[in-house]
Amino acid sequence: MACNERLRVQAYFDGELDASAATEIERHLQVCRECAELLASLDSVGGALRQAPYHRASVKLRSDVMKALDHEAGHSRALSGWLPRGAQFWPGAASGAAATMFAAALAFFALVPPASTQLVNDVMGAHLRSLMAEHLIDVASSDQHTVKPWFAGHADVSPPTADFPNEDFRLVGGRVDYVEGHRAAVLVYRHGAHTINVFTWAQSGEALPGVVTRNGYHSVFWQSGDLVFCAVSDAALDELMALVRLLKEI
Amino acid sequence: MDDKRRRFEAQALPHLDAAYNLARWLARSSADADDIVQEAILRAYRGFDGFRGDDAKPWLLAIVRNCFFTAAGQARQRMGVPLPEEHAENDADALIDEAPDPELIVMRADQRQKLDHIIAGLPQEFREVLILREMEDLSYRDIAQVTGSPIGTVMSRLARARALLKETWFRHMEGVRHGVQ
Repeated sequence: MACNERLRVQAYFDGELDASAATEIERHLQVCRECAELLASLDSVGGALRQAPYHRASVKLRSDVMKALDHEAGHSRALSGWLPRGAQFWPGAASGAAATMFAAALAFFALVPPASTQLVNDVMGAHLRSLMAEHLIDVASSDQHTVKPWFAGHADVSPPTADFPNEDFRLVGGRVDYVEGHRAAVLVYRHGAHTINVFTWAQSGEALPGVVTRNGYHSVFWQSGDLVFCAVSDAALDELMALVRLLKEI
Repeated sequence: MDDKRRRFEAQALPHLDAAYNLARWLARSSADADDIVQEAILRAYRGFDGFRGDDAKPWLLAIVRNCFFTAAGQARQRMGVPLPEEHAENDADALIDEAPDPELIVMRADQRQKLDHIIAGLPQEFREVLILREMEDLSYRDIAQVTGSPIGTVMSRLARARALLKETWFRHMEGVRHGVQ
């Protein structure tokens, strides 16, 4: 019936055994058919689970959490009663101002003007298509001096281009995609297992959303000079924001 | 920003996604998961001075789990029964596939949804060890810390959970092959 080593085979599969115990189990696996089958089935269950959805915290939850922490900090300040009454006004006023700014930021996220819905659809659609087909990259290069001139001949704009290997945002190439009728230049970055598409097109007065999250994909819009930028990825929002900060500094 | 807040943001908040994923799989509802995570983060922040160690992830996840039990207890008192949600929002994820064959994409989406239901249908003590091991990549020791159970129990539950999942999943796949869903 059930082999006594089953739990140790599982521990071997999970990388929980030290070297000598692992060697023992490897030897055992060669002679015990039941355990060899178990190992294969652990692998197939793991494979199935990797297809199950990983649920990430929404942008709204992130904001709510930060707001709650701000509130908590204000609360503990109010409790430290050694401050004279008058002195408590300014920290309170400051946190009030922070809350107002926060509410304004939230409203900004929530009140995406309807005109930009099409814009979000366009960039999200382009991002998904780029992952699906072999249409991720038109010019494959980590060299900014190759990618930038290539855009000059193919897209409407030629955005500033840089590779950030030290921050683990590796430029893998460029592409042209259509966003709201513009021939947008797209920089493609890899960050760990994630692909990040950065779209750039010439600003034409459209209203921009700030951050939009849909189906686990974040898109961050910003404007610089007469160019509009949008970074899209399934990477965590703070990681995506890190790339946005780097790009703004080029 | 004070020092405690800075340390909390650096050590605990990077695990916000993990906290949400666990809450979401435990509660099986995104609205409940939001509430649980909010409460858990506040409790974690209040208790952060007592946190010793270099990895805040199992510590935070244990708090999430406790908050889930508190919320579930309150829900039971209200006689509310949480139902698994529909998972239409995940369908777009299925588009990320190397093969752009539409039929295959639809099939994969169906399978993901089914898989989601199967995991959601596992008893909670099995579901949580699977999520912590397979999705969060926690060690047995960390899972023991999160679930407050001995390592031996973690190992046997994990074995049982995987066997259950395999059985249900392959029964489903067998059904698909024979055209019966």
